[in-house]
Amino acid sequence: MREDRMSPSERIGAFLSGKPIDRFPCVPLILNHAARVNGVKIGAHNRDGALMGKCHADAYRRYGQDLITIFSDTAVISEAMGTELFFPEDDVPRVQTPAIPNIGDWSRLVEATADDGRLPVYLEAIRTASAEVAGEVPVTCCFPAPFTTAAMLRGTDQFARDLFRNRECAHGLLQHSLDACCAFSDAVVDTGGIPVVVDPIATGSVLGERHFREFALPYLTELHKRIAARGMPVLLHICGQTQRILDAMLESGAALLSLDDIPMSVARDRAGSKVALMGNVRPAQTLLKGKPEDVVNEVRELCEIGRSCSAGFVLGSGCEAPIATPPENIDAMMNAVREFGCFD
Amino acid sequence: MESEAILKELARAVVEMDEDGAEAAAHEALRSGVDPYVAITEGLSAGMRRVGELYDTGEYFVPEILVCSDTMNRAIAVLKPHIKAKSDARPVKIILGVIEGDIHDIGKNIVKIMLDAAGFDVQDLGRDVSAAQFVEAARKAGVGIIGISTLMSTTMDNMGKVVRGLEEAGLRQCFQVMIGGSPASAAFAREIGADGYGRNAKEAVDLAENLSRRLPCAKTE
Repeated sequence: MREDRMSPSERIGAFLSGKPIDRFPCVPLILNHAARVNGVKIGAHNRDGALMGKCHADAYRRYGQDLITIFSDTAVISEAMGTELFFPEDDVPRVQTPAIPNIGDWSRLVEATADDGRLPVYLEAIRTASAEVAGEVPVTCCFPAPFTTAAMLRGTDQFARDLFRNRECAHGLLQHSLDACCAFSDAVVDTGGIPVVVDPIATGSVLGERHFREFALPYLTELHKRIAARGMPVLLHICGQTQRILDAMLESGAALLSLDDIPMSVARDRAGSKVALMGNVRPAQTLLKGKPEDVVNEVRELCEIGRSCSAGFVLGSGCEAPIATPPENIDAMMNAVREFGCFD
Repeated sequence: MESEAILKELARAVVEMDEDGAEAAAHEALRSGVDPYVAITEGLSAGMRRVGELYDTGEYFVPEILVCSDTMNRAIAVLKPHIKAKSDARPVKIILGVIEGDIHDIGKNIVKIMLDAAGFDVQDLGRDVSAAQFVEAARKAGVGIIGISTLMSTTMDNMGKVVRGLEEAGLRQCFQVMIGGSPASAAFAREIGADGYGRNAKEAVDLAENLSRRLPCAKTE
C-alpha cells in the first residue's frame, strides 16, 4: 500500500482538469452513515445542519475519502414544496403525504426557495463541514433531480401512471420541480458546495428508455446546464439498473456518471471514453454484508477496469454505503485503492 | 362476438392499456354468455401474462405494468359480480409485504400484480410490515406462502425475524417463505432460513408456483 501524495482536494482538482493524479479518487458514498461515525441518531442528523456538517467532517477525518457527500433523503426538495415526510428516530425520513394527491392541482404548487423545508439544514451542513475541513476535501451536496422530485410530490406509483394518462400535467409538475432544483443548486454553489444530482426514480429499474428520454432527460439536461453555467463539474448519480438508459444519460451533459447495478466493464465499453465513470462496489452484498477481503477483491477488479476508462475513473460504492456498514469495510475500500489504484 | 374473439379482445386491451376497450369487452363477454370466470382467467390474465413477458424482455417497465393492471382491474370490476361461487380447488394464499423499516413498495406492487394474474389469492399487507404482523396474518391464513420484500440493505435483516417468528408460533411447517428485493440474494435467503429468492417479478411467480407444491394440504372449510 502506498501513502497518498495528494490531499483529496488536490486529487479531485487534478482529476477534474485532466492532470496527473497519484491514485484513483475514492468515494464510498458516506451519506447517512456519517451520523453513525459520531453515534448520532439519523433523525437528529437530518434536521440539524450544524450537526450534520460536523458528522460529515468527522466521517472524513475517520475515513479520508475524497469527497464529502452531504445528503439525507431523496424527498428533500419535494418536502420544501409541500410533501409531508415522516421522520423515524433513527432512520431516513420517508414520504407520508405527497403534496399533489390530485394531478390537476399541480399548477397550485408554490415556488420553493432555498429557505423552505429542510433545505436550510443542507446549506448549514455545507457551511459547517466546509469550515471544519478548511479546503482539504471538496464538500458536495447530493440532491434529487426533477424526475425524482416530481415522483415524491405525486407519489411514485401515481406519477408513473401520469406518464401515460396525464402527460401534460406530468410535464408541468416536472417544470416546477426543475425550477426548485435549479434554485437549490444555485444555493448550494453560493454556499460553497458542489452539487451532485441524484435521480433514483428515473432508474432503468423503473423506467424504459423512451420514458426516460421524454420525462427525465430534458429536465436533467436543463439542471446540468445550470450547474455548468456556475462553473461547476456536473456529477450525476442514478442507482439501480442503468444499462438501458446509459446512452441517454450520456446526453445529459454530465462530466461524471456514478453507476450502481451495471458491470463496470460494460459501462466502460459504452461510456468510458466519453465521461468519467464512478462506481460500483456493491453496497449491500459487499460493503454491508461482506468481509474486508471481499471489499478488497472487488476494488482490485474495479481498479483494473478503471485503468481502461479513458475519460477517468473514480472508485465509488454503487449507491449509499448502508447506515450500518462496518467501518472496517470502508477502511478496506480506502486502503485497497492505495494498493491497486495508484499511478506512477 | 364469438367467445374466442372476446377473450382475445380482453387480453389485447390489457396489453395495450386500453381501459375503455377492456370495460367494453367485459360487458360484451357478459352479453354473449362467456363465463365471467373464464373471461378473467383466459382473457385478462392471459393478457397480463403477456405483459409479464414484455416486462421480462425489457419492452415494458413499471409504469406500463401499473397501467395494464389498472386496465385489468376495470374489466374485473365488471365481471366479478357475475362469478358464481366455485366449490372446487381454492387458490393458494400468498401473504405479501415490504418488511418493517422499508417503504419502497413498487417492486412488491409489481409482484402482487403478477401473482394475482397467475391465480394466487394475494393478501397484501402493504409496506413497513413487522414480523409480528406477518406471523399474525399467517396464523389467520393457516397455510400458504409468505412473500417478503425489501429494497433497503438496512432492513433486510428484519426478514429473518419473520422466519423465526413463524417457527416460534409453530407455523413454519405450514408456510413457504420467499423473499425478494435488490439487496437480497439466494444466499441471503438460505442464511435467514427462507425457502427461496426471486430476482424479479417473473422469478417470483415461478418460485411461488414451485413452493406451492411443497405446501401441506390446505384445511378445507
